[in-house]
Amino acid sequence: MSTARLTILIAEDSAADRMLLSTIVSRQGHRVLAASNGLEALALFQQERPQLVLMDAMMPVMDGFEAARRIKECAGEALVPIIFLTSLTEGEALVRCLEAGGDDFLAKPYNRIILEAKIKAMDRLRRLQSTVLQQRDLIAKHNEHLLTEQRVAKAVFDKVAHSGCLSAANIRYMQSPYALFNGDLLLAAFKPSGGMHVFLGDFTGHGLPAAIGAMPLAEVFYGMTAKGYSMAEILPEMNSKLKRILPVGVFCCATMLNLSFQRRVVEVWCGGLPDGYLYRAASGERVALVSRHLPLGVRDAASFDSHCEVYPLVLGDRLLLLSDGLLETCNEQGQAFAEERLLAVFAANRQADRLFAEIQQSLSDFSAEAQDDVSMVEVVLVDEAALNRPPLDYSAHGLISPNDWSASFEFRAQTLRHFNPLPFLLQLLLEVQALRSQAGALYSVLAELYSNALEHGVLGLDSALKRDAAGFARYYSERSQRLAVLEQGYVRFHLQLQPEPAGGRLLLRVEDSGGGFDPQALLGQTLAPGRLSGRGLELVRRLAERCSYSADGRGICVEFCWSSQAAGDDRFGG
Amino acid sequence: MADDQGSDMHVDNHVLNALREVMEDEFALLLDTFLSDSDERLRLLRQAQAQGDAQAMRMAAHSFKGSCSNMGAVLLAGLCKQLEDLARREQLDDVAALLGHIEREFAIVRILFKSERQRYR
Amino acid sequence: MTISTQLSADEQELTIAIQGRFDFGAHQAFRDAYERVESTPKRYLVDLQGTTYLDSSALGMLLLLRDHAGGDHAQVRLLNCNSDVRKILAISNFEQLFQIA
Repeated sequence: MSTARLTILIAEDSAADRMLLSTIVSRQGHRVLAASNGLEALALFQQERPQLVLMDAMMPVMDGFEAARRIKECAGEALVPIIFLTSLTEGEALVRCLEAGGDDFLAKPYNRIILEAKIKAMDRLRRLQSTVLQQRDLIAKHNEHLLTEQRVAKAVFDKVAHSGCLSAANIRYMQSPYALFNGDLLLAAFKPSGGMHVFLGDFTGHGLPAAIGAMPLAEVFYGMTAKGYSMAEILPEMNSKLKRILPVGVFCCATMLNLSFQRRVVEVWCGGLPDGYLYRAASGERVALVSRHLPLGVRDAASFDSHCEVYPLVLGDRLLLLSDGLLETCNEQGQAFAEERLLAVFAANRQADRLFAEIQQSLSDFSAEAQDDVSMVEVVLVDEAALNRPPLDYSAHGLISPNDWSASFEFRAQTLRHFNPLPFLLQLLLEVQALRSQAGALYSVLAELYSNALEHGVLGLDSALKRDAAGFARYYSERSQRLAVLEQGYVRFHLQLQPEPAGGRLLLRVEDSGGGFDPQALLGQTLAPGRLSGRGLELVRRLAERCSYSADGRGICVEFCWSSQAAGDDRFGG
Repeated sequence: MADDQGSDMHVDNHVLNALREVMEDEFALLLDTFLSDSDERLRLLRQAQAQGDAQAMRMAAHSFKGSCSNMGAVLLAGLCKQLEDLARREQLDDVAALLGHIEREFAIVRILFKSERQRYR
Repeated sequence: MTISTQLSADEQELTIAIQGRFDFGAHQAFRDAYERVESTPKRYLVDLQGTTYLDSSALGMLLLLRDHAGGDHAQVRLLNCNSDVRKILAISNFEQLFQIA
């Protein structure tokens, strides 16, 4: 059991003793460096970096204590054991040795057996220290690596998360900068027709695993919203994606809103988050938005339920969504904020506009500590003109676009039950480059005409139902039921694109299989306040170049045109 | 390896044997080095006495003591210790006799080492 | 947190009881409870009488059990839920997947 060959520095001023010790040590297999005073010892140490030092205490020029102190300083973090050679017996002198950094003593006369044992023991300690330092550095390096990876992940996500419209004038939100690493996700995006989708999600778990699911979810949300898909289509897609990629047991509690400024309506889907609230500005009435579904990523595609609840709104009404982080915030005594306190803030509120700030205040009064886990968002129904909506961005691909064609589509009962034709039709029309700047108006008009044809024409629903909140709920309930059992009926779209001397024109006709209506009567009507349905057709008339009705009332024809010069004729009203 | 009982011993042969074993071919060199070292130390001791420098005397005596013990010169080592103690107590007046004793003892040790040297050339 | 199990005499039913906090720390013990059983029971009962706290990772663990027990064909019942536990299960709508008593 021999120690490896070490380089050992011997500092001893007596020549005979020095010779003897050097021989003993080199006979034990080590390489010897010899110095006759402290200064020489220090110089040799700096030059050769031996693993161990045998130091005489009493030496001229620089004594052993001072040399030991300097050598220890020079060695830094590494352990260089120093064994003092001394026939000092007084306790005080021995204390001096220890204070100077000595690790052990060897008495004169030198006992080579004892020396060998001490060298071995000291070397073991030295190697232990070296291992500790190496591992510490390795751990530090890996840790730094992980932190860098997290920073990159966060930067990637931030780019995706901030392509939305959370900064819109009608949205207020509260979210920790590290929310993503708590599993919280907050997304908002304008729809091409002008309304907006808002999403609040809470993934199980924390850190990178929770954040991983957020990326594909955000992509689906933004991508499909931009194309004009509805919540009923976006939610199943999100669910399927999470179900596919997340392991069993990992899911995302979520609430999604579809806010329509023109129709003054909000659709709500809640799966797994605590109650959100619809706060009616005029009456102060609070409607709880209760979780009715399992969280996203649990159900398979066949059993996923995207049924939403629909509520009418007036200007100033607001929706408040929160993750459970808010209710679970604890103060110093370990009590939770809990639902009672939140309801108390609601009860005490006198001005709807101050509600959000009052909740924040109540929270910071309750617990002074930073609220790392709290995500909260408030969305208000405002006049659309008040929002500074950025223009839609449809990237120009292909300079050649089809400008002279017509197409007809008939969507029949079975298709109408499950398929939303609007994104498909819009994508088709956007192939015409000149129409891209009017994408918003086009979509709004298409959506209005389709909804009119489907609901009034094919399903036979009466808009009169929608005059009050209760009737509203009944209307949408009727709509789902009738659509679910639809056997007969159709909606037809005729698209005709024709070039004109100075530009071009789109003629769009929508027909349905329903009973028709008296167009003259409808055209003559002025918009009655509270009559929600008339607003839609009013919008169509405003947005399209021309609008006319077919004689039997079963079809509406609208026209859009453009001139070759005005490529940037941005006529969407949103 | 000091032999307690042999505080009268001029040179401890066990120690010498061990030294011979360790040093091998350099045994003679070691003895020579010790002898010339010790000459120098005695000179320093004399100088310290002349100058009345207790500190210098103490350090030289201490160092000499150590060397002697390594070489097995037991009696000499003991005398050096006595001198070291006196010097520490700064009782330099009593030093003269002891210093003489040390010189005489060293002379004996020198003879013994030289004959040792002859045997193992 | 302690987890105890009991297999019925006919080996058709396994009862898993959770005492204390049912959170991420219970992960391994909970899995072992149903994975390390010699037989393949048809029914599972999770007794939450002594459960003081339940969070989303516990919900995840229940989903794992359900998956192990046959997914949509699984028979998993959650027993003796106190009001706090009930509330959490209600918000997540877990009664759509489990029988809750």
